This record gives sequence, structure tokens and C-alpha cells, in this order.
Amino acid sequence: MGTGTAIFVAATAFTGCTVKAVGDPNRPITINANVVVDIRGLKQAATNIEDMVAQGAVK
Amino acid sequence: MKRFYTVLLSASLIFFALAPLGISADYNFKKMTPEIDQALKNRQARYSQLQDLKQEGLLGENNKGYVTDLKSNAAASSLAGAENQDRRIVYEALAEQNGLGRTGLLEVQKAFAEVQHEKSAAGDMIQDPSGNWIKK
Repeated sequence: MGTGTAIFVAATAFTGCTVKAVGDPNRPITINANVVVDIRGLKQAATNIEDMVAQGAVK
Repeated sequence: MKRFYTVLLSASLIFFALAPLGISADYNFKKMTPEIDQALKNRQARYSQLQDLKQEGLLGENNKGYVTDLKSNAAASSLAGAENQDRRIVYEALAEQNGLGRTGLLEVQKAFAEVQHEKSAAGDMIQDPSGNWIKK
């Protein structure tokens, strides 16, 4: 595993949530939904937005 | 369940293959709504004043992507409230429009907090991940 891959793995967060739906009381349904969030991509988006706010600031 | 793990494994393999190439997910506003546009303009309009209050130590950047009134100053508190309201619009829109969901919103806020800390000027107050306030 290369350094880039290791950093990427460290920078990637797996977040999830559980939704419980009950139709038949004897057969509850559980749905697991997982979302993969790329932290590096989020930081880049945040940087772009904050740069835009600062550059367009009213003096 | 087997299908779920197959999809998860496939997604992971794609990420691992792209990582060395420096490719990351592209998060942005898919649709610039009037609400987002207004929030960004509001933030630009108060930016200089916000920086001044941060330099005076009245406001600090917390670890959740928002500003905190540190000395119970009325003017600073009012500005922080308005700024945080606009930031929330931006964060929620980014999470929602990129399908990140409620838990993704926390990651969005965390990413913005890190960027705000990096961009803070020397002397500004910032809150570290463990909750302690430090002067940058």
C-alpha cells in the first residue's frame, strides 16, 4: 500500500445511520445506510468557499 | 447483506485505485439557490468586521465550523448570530446537495472548522478538537 493510499484511507470517513421501520411487529425491518465522505474533498470545497468569501469581502 | 458488502468493497477498491493519483471527491453547490447566494453575500459584507472582532479577541472560531462570542459582548454576539445563521445555510446546502445526509453535515462542519483555523490570523482565538481555546 503506497503512502498516498494510506493517507487517503486515513482521510476517508465512513459514516452511517440506521433506520428502523416496523410493519409487522413480528418481523421488524432494519435498513442500514452507509455514506462514504471524502474528507480531503470536503476540505477542498471548504477552502474554495472561504476563499470566495474573503476575496469578495466588502472593504 | 452479501450484496451490500460487495458494493462496499467495490467502492473501496475504486477509492484505493484513485488515491495515488490524487483524485478526491468534488463537492460543490449543484444548484445556487437564492438562499445560498444571499448567505454568501451576507458573509462577504460582514467579513472585515468579523476579522476585526476576532483580532480583538471578542470572537473565536470554534471546532464545529462556527464563531463563538467569547466575552459576552453585545455587538459581537449579534454579529456571531448572523454569521452562524449564514454559515449553517451554506453547510446544510453543501451536505444536502451532495447527498451526504445528516451525518455528512457533521463532517462538513468539521472540514470548515479546520479550514477556518488554518485561515485564522496570528492572535485569533481558535478552539482545538478537544474543546480548549487557544490563541493562534
